[in-house]
Formats: sequence, structure tokens, C-alpha cells
Amino acid sequence: MAMEHEMHHGDEHPSSTIRQYVMTGILLTAITAVELFLSYSSLPHGLMITLLIGLSAVKFAIVVAIFMHLKFENRLLTRLFLFGLVLATCIMIALLSLFWNDTTDAVGGIPEGQQTAPKH
Amino acid sequence: MAAAHAEPQHNTTTGIDNRKMLMWVFLASECLFFGSLISTYLIFKGDSITGPLPHDVLDIPLTSTSTFVLLMSSLTMVLAVFGAQHNRLGLMKGMLLATIVLGLAFLGFQVFEFRTFGHEGLNLTTNQFGATFFVLTGLHGTHVGVGVLYLASLLVASGRRNGLGKEVALHVDIAGLYWHFVDIVWIVIFTLIYLIP
Amino acid sequence: MATAVGTLGHTREESTVWKWMTTVDHKKIGALYLITGFTFFLVGGIEATLVRTQLAVPNGTVLDAGLYNQLFTMHALTMIFLAIMPMGAAFFNYFIPLHIGARDVAFPRLNALSYWVLLSGGLILTSSFFFGEAPNAGWFAYAPLTEKEFAPDKGLDFYTVGLFIAGLASLMSSLNFAVTIINMRAPGMTMMRLPVYMWMTLVVAFLLILSLPVITVALVQLYFDRNFGTNFFTPGAGGDPILWQHLFWVFGHPEVYVLILPSMGIVSEVLPVMSRKPLFGYTAIVMAGASIGVLGFGVWSHHMFTTGLGTVPQYVFSASTMAIGVPTGIKVFNWLGTMYGGNIKMTVATYYSIAFVALFTIGGISGVMHASPSVDGQHQDSYFVVAHIHYVLFGGAIMGIFSGLYYWFPKMTGRLLDETLGKIGFWFIFIGMNLTFFPMHFLGLAGMPRRIYTYDAGLGWETWNFVATIGVYIIVVGVALFLVNVFKTFRKPPDAGDDPWGGATLEWATTSPPPEHNFDVVPVVRDRDPVWYNRDHGIVTPEKPAHLHIHMPPPSYFPLVLGIGILLIGVGALSSLAITALGVVVVYYALWGWALEPTE
Repeated sequence: MAMEHEMHHGDEHPSSTIRQYVMTGILLTAITAVELFLSYSSLPHGLMITLLIGLSAVKFAIVVAIFMHLKFENRLLTRLFLFGLVLATCIMIALLSLFWNDTTDAVGGIPEGQQTAPKH
Repeated sequence: MAAAHAEPQHNTTTGIDNRKMLMWVFLASECLFFGSLISTYLIFKGDSITGPLPHDVLDIPLTSTSTFVLLMSSLTMVLAVFGAQHNRLGLMKGMLLATIVLGLAFLGFQVFEFRTFGHEGLNLTTNQFGATFFVLTGLHGTHVGVGVLYLASLLVASGRRNGLGKEVALHVDIAGLYWHFVDIVWIVIFTLIYLIP
Repeated sequence: MATAVGTLGHTREESTVWKWMTTVDHKKIGALYLITGFTFFLVGGIEATLVRTQLAVPNGTVLDAGLYNQLFTMHALTMIFLAIMPMGAAFFNYFIPLHIGARDVAFPRLNALSYWVLLSGGLILTSSFFFGEAPNAGWFAYAPLTEKEFAPDKGLDFYTVGLFIAGLASLMSSLNFAVTIINMRAPGMTMMRLPVYMWMTLVVAFLLILSLPVITVALVQLYFDRNFGTNFFTPGAGGDPILWQHLFWVFGHPEVYVLILPSMGIVSEVLPVMSRKPLFGYTAIVMAGASIGVLGFGVWSHHMFTTGLGTVPQYVFSASTMAIGVPTGIKVFNWLGTMYGGNIKMTVATYYSIAFVALFTIGGISGVMHASPSVDGQHQDSYFVVAHIHYVLFGGAIMGIFSGLYYWFPKMTGRLLDETLGKIGFWFIFIGMNLTFFPMHFLGLAGMPRRIYTYDAGLGWETWNFVATIGVYIIVVGVALFLVNVFKTFRKPPDAGDDPWGGATLEWATTSPPPEHNFDVVPVVRDRDPVWYNRDHGIVTPEKPAHLHIHMPPPSYFPLVLGIGILLIGVGALSSLAITALGVVVVYYALWGWALEPTE
């Protein structure tokens, strides 16, 4: 790593080798293949979605930690990035739960002439 | 290895190079950007009044191939960074070129996909699926395109005398961060849009 | 063309205009921001004065309905995005490096670029008046009012493009400021020794970095709705106008804190110096600022209680809104505690700071009232809301900025503003402000809706509307007095000295105005109030070395070229694809030049 600095002296991280990078690439491909298999399988819907999201989160984490070297960097960078990532996730969850639980908004809106007073 | 040490910015408070920190904070911001786009897609999921609907047009084997292409570009990118850091400029340039080619291939897949959807009657105005899908994947594709230009510029500059100078490892590293981020966004998009029925 | 064209030799004599156009000095850029921001403040003020003149008497005939809609919309957009934010950015620019003991910001050229891009956004937004129609759907531009069907003119396209570009500028400057504060501090300047102003700046930077992308997405979607026929926000075809409100306020509420936190920071600098004692409860005020930053992302739907959120979301957002009142309240007590028992110097800056605390508290309390959905339902879209936001933004943000102007003017120019004239001006602004906005509480409770261009006699609204309009004219006099004061001050020789107030932070340890490299010797920080600490412990500033071996980044015109490229892309988005393409080429060319330009 080029950006090792004084504060981290003594903290010699194991410099990743080409072999390790290639293995990581193969692992990512394998996870993608599993995902693909899952999406064609006849698992229950909820379980499948959980597994798919879980696996893509694993892929996400592997790329960030190994390919983007976040595992080996100053912790501050992890915190800075995680702040955005966590906030984005929270806002997504909040927005989705606001909209998906919204019973006043039927699919495509309520047709003309069938509108009723909003329920309380 | 110690290329960046000779530079005037080495004495930052935290020891992290300013430019690298800028890129990470920018990527944090990009999380919110793509988070909003993906939210919009999911909010409108199932709200399309007319077809074609996702399961009518989405071609999962094809997109799996392009996803694989983008994953491999992340691998070549990290090898380019490795080459830059270990002073193996030949490896670096070869892998940068490979990354650019893979990125262009991904964009090619996307153009093909958009055209096919168009022939099947799906465009921006057809329904909510069309609008949210094209805006989300289109903006992601724009990011890939910017990344290709970014890497191509680095490759050209690295061929010039004094082009990237002593900081070549840092520049390739930072470009790599951007590239990998675009890749992980695609990992999320692929799962949420294509794989989840 | 040689590759080093952007770098200008230090030896050649350059014209003044060219120097300012190519500057990368944070102080010069700060001055540009300040002049631009204040100019837009005057433009926004003229718009407000026209609006109030129309409303002075029932059935006013000064403006017609269409122009009225454009003026109130542009008043808000101008004040928020082109006046308060740039003036905040002006002080950030000028004082971040001085406060943390750095020679410049982390990315001087990016800093210049931010300014040029902001100017582009401001020009696009304001030029809409000359191209048919300005935006006219209110600053939060609720769908479906903004859709092609209801707003066929170009006005809303100027809104989307102008705000997009202004947002880009804010994003770049925020990234720059965040990295600078984290990474460019002088030796000994730990995070918990940062001036409170720096903490507030850091919070503002992160609020912008994390909220701007959301509005960017919303603006892109609106642009697509209007120009490419998508239906994100049109209900008939499956779209959802409420989505716009959510996306807008996910950005819009943190934005409110973006507007107020800089002023909170300024007041936290002015009050300790003028009270001649350290800030009371430094840790509390820093933590309060940070928690406002975090909580600020979790309250957005309190702007939308009347859209039928459902019971649970109303509880959640009501509770989080009340919770965010707590750190805000903590700060008020910090400021009071700072003044308590102090030997207070009653300067104009002190006047404005005290006014800030008082008026902001009023605005804060009416804000907590809106946290209750049932109360909010009564206040929604009435003048009560207008009163609330003006107490927060005029009574808060603007008062803080004026305090900063009086406090830092001697540092920036070497000249002290006239105190007597300043105090007269203060009373005009203070009284005018309260005359204008306090009656709006009554008007709102009496049922007057906001954004109506005229009203009938006999509704009980005449008196207070007339009083409010009188108040605006009094504010105009106060602002004019400030301008007179500035012009008068520039005609006298520098008289401020390096440290006219007995300041505590590092900017007072250098000359007024500071040299290009800020400090002859990078200061070593031993305390939260480094200048006071050195004074009390008899630590003298090291002698200026005979030879300063300081490399400042050379001027560059690539930020300007890149800014022009982005302006062209924006103009193209409003007119033709060819101009956009040209803009992209210019941007790419400028980026090449930028990247290869030697900065040594």
C-alpha cells in the first residue's frame, strides 16, 4: 500500500498478492452463480429474498474490504464511508416502509368516480 | 511503495492523503444518490398500469453475463492497482486496458438491452417500470462511462513522460475506488431488480 | 498548446480582474462568495419588498397573480440557495484555514471551481426572469403543480437545472471543507480543540454531502417528467406526487440546518470573545451540533403531516422532531451561560448575536409547536409557518451572518466598521424584522393562507398586513445603512490592527488582512482558545523568519474554464443538445488541463 503512514507504523498489513485477488474474484463469481441458481429455484419467496439480499451484501462487503482495501486502511475512512452507507440504508428502509404500508394509495390510483373519503 | 511519501501533502493530520479521503467521502455521498434511485424503483414496483412488465422483458442470463463482465473488471482493476503499487508498470497498463475493455463491454450489453427493450415496446414513458428502470440503470451506466473515460485518461497519461509522476500508485488507487464502487452498486441493482422476482 | 498553459508565471504583471478570475486563494474566493451572496441577498430583498408591497392593503394591484407567484418563489430560492448558503460558504472559505491553522484549504482549485459553478447556478436561476417565466411553484415545488400540464413554461426547468448546478457547487465545496477540517489541522489542533464554528462547519458539510444527492435525484426525475414524458410525479399514470415531497424534504430538512448551523457557529465565536470568557459548555455545544446533524435526517416527514402519512409515521416523526429541539435548546443555554457573569463588550457584533439568540428561540419554539401533528394541521400553509421560518432564517441565520460581518470585517479588510452607524442599522433591522414577521403569527392564526396574491377587506387581516409591510421598509433602511457603513469604511485608512476584539481563535494571531500564506509560522495549538492561552502563559509568537520558504498553489484558469463548461451543459439542458455537447467537451478539456497542470 502506498498510503501507509507514520500513525500506522508497526501495523504491517499482509500485502495482498495477485493470487489472493484472483481467488477473491473467483469467490465473487461463485456467489453470483449461487444467486442465479437461487433466483431460478422454487424456494419460498421470503426465504429467497432474504438469501439473495444477504449474499449480495456479502459480495458488497468483500469488494469494499479487499478490492477497495478498506480492511487495511485507516479506520477513519471506514467510518466516513459507513456513515453514508448506513444513512442511505436507513432512509431507503424508511421510505419503503412509508410507501408500502400506505393503504390510501391503491395501484395506479383510484379511478375517477370511485373515490371515497380518506379513511382515518 | 513509498511513492506518495515524497509529495507535499504527506503531512496531513490523519496521515490519509487528502485526495483519497475526498474520494471516500464522495462515495458516501453516492450511496445516498443510488439509494434514492433504488428506492424510487422499489416504491413504484408493481405500480405499472400497462406492460411490458419486468418479467416480460428482463433477460436474466444475458444480464448475468454482463454482471460477470463487470465483476471481472473489478478484478483487473485491483490488479492494475497492484501493478502500480509494486512498480510493475507493464502489469498496470495491461490491466487498466483490460478494465477499460470490460467496462466498454458492459456498456455494450447495456445498449443492447435498452435497444431490445425498446423493440419490445418499453421506453421511458411506457409505464412506471420503464421510467424507473431506465433512469436508474441509465445513471449507473453513465457512472460506468465516466469511469471508462477516467481510466482511459489515466492510461494515456501514464504513457506520457511525467504524466502521472511519482504518484502513479495513488492515482490508480483512487480511480480504482471509484470503479469498484460502481461495481458494487451494480451488485445491488442486479440483485434487487433482476434476481428478486 | 503546451500542457502547462494553466499555470501563470508569478513574475508577469496580471490585471486585477484576471487575478480574481484565476485565484485559488481561499480568502479571495471567500470574498467573491461574500460579494455574490450579498448581491443576491439584495435581489431577494427586492423580491420580498415587492411581495409585501402587493400585500400591504386588501386587493393590492401592484403585481398580478403570475408575477406574484414568481416573486415569492424566487425570493425563497434566492435567499436560501444564493444568499444565505453562499454567505455561509464565504465565511467557511475565509476562516476554515485561519481557524485550523492551515495555509489554504485541501483543494484550492476545487474551491475556485465551486465558486464558479455556484455563480453559474445562480445566473441560470435568476436569468429565468428574462426568458419568459421564473419558477413559480414555491421553493419546494410540489408536484403535480410543477408538471408540464400545469406549468407549461420553462420556469420549472430553470428551477431543476439551476438547483442541480448550485447543488453541485455545494457538494464540491462541502467535500473540500470536510477534508480540510479533518485533515489540515495545525499541530496540536485536536478535534476537541476545534473552534465551535469549525465543528458547525463540519456538520454542515456532512449534511450537504449526504442530503444533496437525494434532491439531485428528485430534480433529475422532475426534469425527466417535464422533458422526456416520464410519470414519476403525475398521479394519473401511476406516479406519486407524495414521492416528490419525501425526496425533497429528505434533503430539505437537513438543508434547514445547513442554513442555521453556520450562524450558530458564528454566535459561538462572537459571544465568548465579547463576554471575555471561554464558551460555556464546549463539549455540550459540539455534541449538540453533531446530534442535530444526525437527527436532522430523521425528521423530514414533519413537513408532510397533512398528506395522510398514517398514524405510526406521525408518531415517529413527531417524536423525532420534538427530540431535535433538545440539542437546540442546549445551545441556547450554552450561549446564555457564556454571557452570564461576563464583562460584556456591547459591540454591534454582540448586538446581532444577542438578537440571534432571542429571535432564534422564538422561531425554535414555534417550530416545536409544529412537531405536534394536530397543531400542525391547523398551521399548515398558513402565515404562521411563514412567521416561523422567518424567525429561524431572518432572526436566526441572517442575524448570525450580520454578527459575523461586523465581527470579521476588520480581519478581512483591516478596517473597523463604524459602530454608531452599525448600532443604528441594527435597531432598524431588529425592529423592522419583528414588525414584519411577528404579526404573521396573528395572521396565520386568523386563517390567512400563505402564497395568496391578494385578499379581500373585512377578513380581519388588514392591520397586521399593513404593519408587516411597514416593517419590510424599515428593514430596507437598515440594510441600506449597512451598505453606507461598508462604503464609508472603505474610504478610511486601515485602523483595525491585528486583533481589535481580543479574539481567542487563530485568525486573530495573524495580520489583518492576513497574508496570502495566512501564517508566517504555522501555529502550535495548546488549548481551545489558543490566542488567549498564549497571552496568559506568556508564549510569544515566533519571529517571522528572514526567508519564508512557503509554496502557495499558483493561480489557475482551469476552474473558470471548467465552470464555464458546466454552465454550458446547464444552458444546453434548457435549450439544445448541441450546447450540452460543447459543454461536455469543454469540461473534459478543462479536466485534462487541470490534471496535468503542475501545482508545485
